[in-house]
Amino acid sequence: MIRRLLIANRGEIAVRIARTAHRMGIGTVGVYAQPDADALHVDVVDLAVALGGSTPAESYLRADALIQAALDTGCDAVHPGYGFLAERADVARMVVDAGLVWVGPTPEQISLLGDKIAAKRAAVAAGVPTTEAVEVRPGHIPDGLAMPALVKAAAGGGGRGMRIVRSPELLADAVGAAAREAEAAFGDGTVFVEPFIERGRHVEVQILGDAHGTVIHLGERECSIQRRNQKVLEEAPSAGITPEVRTALCDGALALARHVGYHGAGTVEFMVGDDGTISFLEVNTRLQVEHPVTEAVTGLDLVELQLRVAAGEPLPITQDDVRIHGHAIEVRIVAEDPATGWLPATGTLTRFDLTPRGAGRGSVAPVRVDTGFRAGSVVSADYDSLLAKVVAHAPTRTEAASVLARALRAAVVTGVRTNAEAMAALLAEDDFLAARTPTAYLDEHPDVAVATGPTGDDRIAHLLAAAVADERAARAADPHWGFAPSGWRNLRTLGQRSTWVDGRGNDLDVELQALDADRYRILVGPVPAPTEDGSLAEDTRRVAEIRVAIRGSGARLGVGIELEGVRRHLAVERDGDETHVSGPAGRTTWRLAPRFQDHDAVSAGGGPVSPLPGTVLSVHVEEGDEVTDGQLLVVVEAMKMEHKITAPGAGTVTEVKVAAGQRVDAGDVLVLLDHAEP
Amino acid sequence: MTVLRSRLDTSSDEHRQNAAAMQALWDEVAEQLASVPSVGGQRYVDRHRTRGKLLVRERIEALVDPHTPFLELSPLAAWGTQDPVGAGVVAGLGIVSGTEVLITGSDMTYRGGSANPTTVAKNLRADEIARVNRLPHVTLNESAGAELPRQADIFVPGGAGFKHLTQASKAGIPSITVVFGPSTAGGAYTPGMSDYTVFVKGRGTAYLGGPPLVKMAIDEEVDEETLGGAEMHSSVSGLSDYLAVDELDGIRIARDIVAHLRWRKLGPGPSEPADEPLYDPAELIGCASADVRVPFDVREVLARTLDGSRFEEFKPLYGDKLVCGWGSICGFPVGVLANNGILFSEESNKGAQFIQLCNRTDTPLVFVQNITGFMVGSAAERGGIIKNGAKLINAVSNSEVPHLVLMVGASYGAGNYGMSGRAYDPRFVFSWPNHRIAVMGPKQLAGVMDIIARNAAAGRGQEVDEEALGAQTKALEDLVEEQSTALYATGRLWDDGIIHPSDSRTVLGIALSATHSAEVRGATDYGVWRH
Repeated sequence: MIRRLLIANRGEIAVRIARTAHRMGIGTVGVYAQPDADALHVDVVDLAVALGGSTPAESYLRADALIQAALDTGCDAVHPGYGFLAERADVARMVVDAGLVWVGPTPEQISLLGDKIAAKRAAVAAGVPTTEAVEVRPGHIPDGLAMPALVKAAAGGGGRGMRIVRSPELLADAVGAAAREAEAAFGDGTVFVEPFIERGRHVEVQILGDAHGTVIHLGERECSIQRRNQKVLEEAPSAGITPEVRTALCDGALALARHVGYHGAGTVEFMVGDDGTISFLEVNTRLQVEHPVTEAVTGLDLVELQLRVAAGEPLPITQDDVRIHGHAIEVRIVAEDPATGWLPATGTLTRFDLTPRGAGRGSVAPVRVDTGFRAGSVVSADYDSLLAKVVAHAPTRTEAASVLARALRAAVVTGVRTNAEAMAALLAEDDFLAARTPTAYLDEHPDVAVATGPTGDDRIAHLLAAAVADERAARAADPHWGFAPSGWRNLRTLGQRSTWVDGRGNDLDVELQALDADRYRILVGPVPAPTEDGSLAEDTRRVAEIRVAIRGSGARLGVGIELEGVRRHLAVERDGDETHVSGPAGRTTWRLAPRFQDHDAVSAGGGPVSPLPGTVLSVHVEEGDEVTDGQLLVVVEAMKMEHKITAPGAGTVTEVKVAAGQRVDAGDVLVLLDHAEP
Repeated sequence: MTVLRSRLDTSSDEHRQNAAAMQALWDEVAEQLASVPSVGGQRYVDRHRTRGKLLVRERIEALVDPHTPFLELSPLAAWGTQDPVGAGVVAGLGIVSGTEVLITGSDMTYRGGSANPTTVAKNLRADEIARVNRLPHVTLNESAGAELPRQADIFVPGGAGFKHLTQASKAGIPSITVVFGPSTAGGAYTPGMSDYTVFVKGRGTAYLGGPPLVKMAIDEEVDEETLGGAEMHSSVSGLSDYLAVDELDGIRIARDIVAHLRWRKLGPGPSEPADEPLYDPAELIGCASADVRVPFDVREVLARTLDGSRFEEFKPLYGDKLVCGWGSICGFPVGVLANNGILFSEESNKGAQFIQLCNRTDTPLVFVQNITGFMVGSAAERGGIIKNGAKLINAVSNSEVPHLVLMVGASYGAGNYGMSGRAYDPRFVFSWPNHRIAVMGPKQLAGVMDIIARNAAAGRGQEVDEEALGAQTKALEDLVEEQSTALYATGRLWDDGIIHPSDSRTVLGIALSATHSAEVRGATDYGVWRH
């Protein structure tokens, strides 16, 4: 019986574990690093212990401090969540040695299955189909490895330290980088190489075992939608495997679990090739990020089952009790910018409401939201960029996808760029809906990454709603002539022009001319500029007459825009210099471009900038160097990934502004280049 | 307060005909207005743009606050004269950085922005508007100077502009000049006399004598930039207070200057509900008779102009040809004097009393003119029409609250004076397109001349050449008719612009608001009353 549980984690998983613990009457103790002092996960636990420090190494990775906190606060168990210490056998051992319950497999099982090479051997021994994996070290790479190959860190997971290599001469670099990343992330630089299945699906089986020898599986999840080898959308069950493959996967997973006498929750991961080939990948000896989809279709609470078996109780269900109902899809809302290669984004969440209600938002079917963030939270480069998980459960896969897409389009997240729009677009794609989802899906569907939300007339209606809301606010603020019609002229040469910049930095000109209280003539598009001979360029703007209906007042308005006989009701929120518009087609954020240029702000100019906040790992050029287009200049480590900064064109290095080890912010100029004439 | 009840049948043939006639007159005005921005010719507009310059109205659009109104004054100045329509200068009331200002700007596309006699008159009128209403004045300057062949009509009166700038400064009314191009000779004193000057780099220049004159006078060879460029004036002479990077930057700086004035209006501002009239102001287009000689009830105009159509009528049973009473326009309380026919002694006495009452309560006056004059004839004379008319003119002349005049029909004879015509210094005069103005109606005037001619012939014992006299009378009637139209009047700056009737409320509201920039205080003293 567990009475008080130390949750050795942060963010959404800490919140989620606390929820179940409290439902079971178990007290909770949280921990926090200094930047998380007032985070949501600290608020929801009964008691939270300060670990100090700002980086994971200084806080959540300090096993001794965590165990001391557990002992000091009278805990009798430790739940590691995922990530951090979840798959550290040594930590599990320390916890057990301290007389506490470790909510997870035994240290021996973690040790065995955490070593991917040993795990593979065990899988082979248990009769699970698998491909050959070769352990390598930088400088000691055997010849003749099959290409394409996957370079993986033996420790860890989540795509870190993973590289796909397509030709032998690139292998050495990839192994070196993977080893460094693995060393930095997990303290273990062991790397192995295995054949890479070019086209296939990532399918995994949830297993559960108790201390009494009972092992069951809860069916499979498909997690093929990945970017940078990291999962971003998961579903249960898999829609792309045959019943035979399903049986083989589940049987294989159970066989392996039985083989090691698995205790706790775990996941056996496979690649399923397009030809139906099954290849064992690894076992994750912890609760997975994507466990909610299994919970949705089975109706079970995996954390509850974890806590029960950890306390020594027998599993309360048998394999026959496990039934799969309908289909569930989870999207990870991640602070990142899909359009720039899914680079992580940072900042402060100014608004964070994933299930908003109200004018212009229509109705959204209930979805499950797991998050550790809220408005005002800071998204920093030091921690995982996962903001929330949104899960839809419906009788069919298509319905689940539609419900989830609708929810994502309604989500209100401002201040930090996210993948919500891209994921909403993905959920509506024909190939996705037809379950044609190889792991290369996002590479093969680049349009997803540049999805910017509403397009066409939807986008124009959003822009007009923002512009009209601004115009109304301007008129309401006129202390002198507020009685007069908007933009009134007795001799008119122009309408009221403004330039709006969307969340991607694209600008769009709008000219409004009020016709009466609720009608406007609008011109949308680039204002004709003078040509060489002084005459104006051809006017290609969209010209229309719109009718506007405004509900509410102040910063939040419901705005009806009737454009070409089609009316859309949109929610408009004015927040400082940003205007957010949302409707069934999605969300847009607009910023009114300044009317006048600030000539004092001299642009730093010159060279490539850091794409995100991080640390300079290495500098590869010196002042005076001639560089070619694409030549490596600097490597920046950020969000636990290495980012190669290359020359945008040929030129001469005039100044190197950073040194190895230096912290840089997004937008910092790294190297000044004097570009050669093209 | 009493609410006016309209008796206007907007579905009647009469209303439709009136509306059609007014629309036709407005179409003519609108066509003229449309021609103004390119009065310099497309070639010069294009040439201006190739130099990377903004047109004067584009500069103004950038200067005023987004979505705020801009009331252009006398946009058709010089209509029917040898000067270009609009006179090559824009003047108007706008809001800059939340402050009501008077804006003037020269149109460089017409003869290099050079001044013609109407430019001078329009600029002097703008100075007057700034002065009497205490409005900060922003000048967007760029001018080649006087149109030299016309210098005789420019040079002497034009000098007053510089005097006005410094007098305004003395009165605490700031002036801001942005120099976008040349400001030569006398023109150099526009920045020279302004409180604040902004010069656009590489564009704005100011010198008393240009390079050729300098070469002639003192044999110095010098280029424009060295002689009087923006950078020289900003860093050496001190004529320029701010150096702008480009045109928009100059406008940005002007906006910043206006913002830091922290301008405080001295009038009490609006105090009444500014609700719309009960009757649609759009119906004003059919309120006035198509034929200026056909009377119409001016209360129908008031019912579509006053807030909530509220009107507390003064002495409704006495002197009923002059409708007097209190109401408000866009929240600003006003006393209204509106003609419903000829001025008799009673009307004159009533008007004089009403003006005094409004001065006692510091209430601005709105005169709605549709007047064919004071009554004539022996009965009127015996009743003391001159004596009583003098009272009205005494009151109008010495009244000190702001006067606004709206011309909705005829303005003939001394009635124009009694109703605060242009010569009586109303703050603003606006006209509907059907407006007619002359010493008397063209037919009467021609008829009077006909009688005089016949009397003269009789005196000389000559026969009247009926054919010649008929032709002469007709020609005179036609000439007076032509010289009494709204366009003719506005071309000579007898008003501050022709407006669309349905814009009356907006225009009067803006004008009233502008008058409240100055203190609003009534008179206590008048000339000697002849009782």
